[in-house]
Amino acid sequence: MKISRSTAMPYIIWMIIFTVIPLILVTYFAFTDGNGTFTMANISEVKDYVAVIFRSIWLAFVATVICLIIAYPLAYVVSRASEKKQKTYLLLVMLPMWMNFLLRTYAWMTLLENTGIINRLLVMIGIGPFAMINTQGAVVLGMVYNYLPFMILPLYSNMTKIENRLIEAAQDLGAPSRKVFSEVVWPLSLPGVMTGITMVFVPAVSTFIISRMLGGGSNMMIGDLIELQFLGNAYNPNLGAAISLGLMIFILLCMSMLNQFNEEDKEGMII
Amino acid sequence: MENLIVLKDIVVKFDGEQVLNSINLEIRDKEFITLLGPSGCGKTTTLRIIGGFVEANEGDIFFDGVRINDVPPYKRQVNTVFQKYALFPHLNVFENIEFGLKIKKMPPKERSAKVKEMLELVGLKGFERRSIDQLSGGQQQRVAIARALVNRPRVLLLDEPLGALDLKLRKEMQTELKRIQQSTGITFIYVTHDQEEALTMSDRVVVMKSGNILQIGTPQDIYNEPINAFVADFIGESNIIPGIMRTDYHVEFAGNSFECVDTGFDPDQLVDVVVRPEDIKVVEADEGMISGVVKSVIFKGVHYEMLVEGAGEDWLIHSTVASEPGTLIGMNILPNDIHIMDREEEPVLSEQKEDGNED
Ligand SMILES: Nc1ncnc2c1ncn2[C@@H]1O[C@H](COP(=O)(O)OP(=O)(O)O)[C@@H](O)[C@H]1O
Ligand SMILES: [Mg+2]
Repeated sequence: MKISRSTAMPYIIWMIIFTVIPLILVTYFAFTDGNGTFTMANISEVKDYVAVIFRSIWLAFVATVICLIIAYPLAYVVSRASEKKQKTYLLLVMLPMWMNFLLRTYAWMTLLENTGIINRLLVMIGIGPFAMINTQGAVVLGMVYNYLPFMILPLYSNMTKIENRLIEAAQDLGAPSRKVFSEVVWPLSLPGVMTGITMVFVPAVSTFIISRMLGGGSNMMIGDLIELQFLGNAYNPNLGAAISLGLMIFILLCMSMLNQFNEEDKEGMII
Repeated sequence: MENLIVLKDIVVKFDGEQVLNSINLEIRDKEFITLLGPSGCGKTTTLRIIGGFVEANEGDIFFDGVRINDVPPYKRQVNTVFQKYALFPHLNVFENIEFGLKIKKMPPKERSAKVKEMLELVGLKGFERRSIDQLSGGQQQRVAIARALVNRPRVLLLDEPLGALDLKLRKEMQTELKRIQQSTGITFIYVTHDQEEALTMSDRVVVMKSGNILQIGTPQDIYNEPINAFVADFIGESNIIPGIMRTDYHVEFAGNSFECVDTGFDPDQLVDVVVRPEDIKVVEADEGMISGVVKSVIFKGVHYEMLVEGAGEDWLIHSTVASEPGTLIGMNILPNDIHIMDREEEPVLSEQKEDGNED
C-alpha cells in the first residue's frame, strides 16, 4: 500500500519525537559517564546484575506460560459461544482491567500477607499459615493476574476467525476431538498465541511495581533495578540506560525469534 | 437395489421453529440422489442430519440398517463437500487432500500415491504445493471434492458444490461429477436449488419445500408428472391456469373445453392445469382453441420466449419461430400435454403442520 508522504507526516514526527530521540538518548547515556565522555564501563557493569536479569526472565517466562495455559481453553470456549454470551464473557475478562493497576496489586498484598485474609482462613481450618507474600510465587501470581487479559484478548480475537465449518470439515474427515485440536485448531491459533506471548512477556519481564509490592526486597527484577538507577538511592542514569538498552535488545531478539517461528502468518503479529 | 440410508420421521427444530417436518427418505446404495428446493427449505439441514452435524429432535436415521442417531460425525462412513468448501487455510492443496488419510494413519507412500491419483482425477496435477488462497473458486471446488473422495466413503454429501462457479465451468463439473459417481460407485447425495442441474445429473430427485418432501422420483417422473403446481413450476417454467375438471378426460380452462388424459377427479372439481411453454403450439389466429396477442418476444438461443395475453391469462410460450409483438395468434394444446393437478392450498407459512392434499 502506498501512503502519501503528507498523510504519513504526523506519524513520522511522532515517531521521531517519542521513539527515535529517546532511543538515541538512551544509547548516548549508556555509552557515556557522568561527564559525557565515552566509556564502556556501564555496559560491562551490567554483567554484575546477571542474577537479577535471569530472575526477571525466568519469572516472566513462568507467568507467560501460566497465562497461556489458563487463557487458551478459556479463549476457545468464549470464541465458540453464541454471540450474546461472547460479549458477556469478554466483559468479565475486561472488568478487572477497569480497576487501577496499583489498587489491584495492593489488594493482592493484603490478601497474601502473613496475617492476611487467606492465611487467617487457612489457620481457621487448621492449616497454615504459609509464607506467601514476598515470594517468587507471589510475583508470578501478580503478573498472571494483571496480564492475563493481554493473553486472552489476542487469542480470542484470533480464534473467532477459526470458522466452525473447518472444525466440522475435520470431523467429517474422521478426526476425533484430539485430532481436530492438534491438526486444525492449534495451528490456526498460532498467530494469536504468538501475539499473546509477546503481549504478556514483554511487560512482565520489565515490570517493577509487582515485584516490589509482592516480591519484597529479595525478588528484585530488571524493572526495579532500572528504576533504582533513575529515581532510587543508587542514582546512576548511565548504568540505568545501559541496562535498559540490554533489556531492549533482549526483547527484540525474543520477538524476532517468535516472528521467525511464525513466518507465514503475518496476521495478528505485533511488529 | 437396497436402501443404504433411511431417514424415518425426522423432525428438526431450531429455536423452537420446525425446520424439517417429519422427513421420510430412503436412499439406495450407489445412486445419485438430489435434494432440490428453494433456499431455506431444509436441504442443508437434511444433509447435516446425515453427516451427523445436526441432531434430530425426533425420528431415526439408519445406515446399512443400523441406527446411527448417536454416532459422531468422525465415525460415519460419509464425507462431505461443504457449501463453501471449508478447505484448511493453513495447509496446501496436497495436505488438504491428504488430511483424511493421515488421520486414518495410512503410510505416507500410499497416501502420496492416492493424493496424486485424486489430483489427476479432478484435473489439478501440478498444484500440490499451491496454497489454498492461490486457487480460483473452481479449483478450490475441485480440491474440496478430491479431499472428500480420496477417503473412498460409502456416501458423498455435496452441498451446492457448483453454486459459486460460472455457467461453463458448472456444466463441465456436472459432467465430471456424474462421471466420477458412475466410475466409483459411491452414493452421491447432492443438494441444489437449480432444477436443471438436478434433472441432468440425478438418478432420483427429491423436491422439498419448507421442511417437507413434496415428491420423490426420477427426473422424468418429476418433470412429466409433477405432483402439484409448486413442483411443476419449480421444476421448469410452466403455465399454471385454474380450471374445472368436468368429467374424466374433460377439463375446462381459459374459457374453453379441452380433452385431456386425466381421470379420477371429482365431477366439477377445481384443479390447476399445468402446461409447459414448449407444449403450446402457435398457429394462425383462427385455427387455435385459444387466441391471444403477443406482448413480448425474447430470443433465447435455441428458441424464442414469447409472452402472450389471451382468454384472461398470460401465456409463456417457447417456440422456434417468432411472432411479431402485437400480432394476434392462435394457440393449441394436445391432450397429452395438459397436466391436471389438485388445486394446491396456499400453505400458511407460519403454521408448520402440513396434512398433504387429501381434499
Ligand atoms: N443453526 C441454525 N440455527 C437456526 N436456524 C437455522 C440454522 N440452520 C438453518 N436454520 C434455518 O433452517 C431453515 C432451513 O435451512 P437450510 O437447511 O440451510 O436450508 P437450505 O439449505 O435448503 O437453503 C432456514 O429457515 C434456516 O434459516
Ligand atoms: Mg443450504
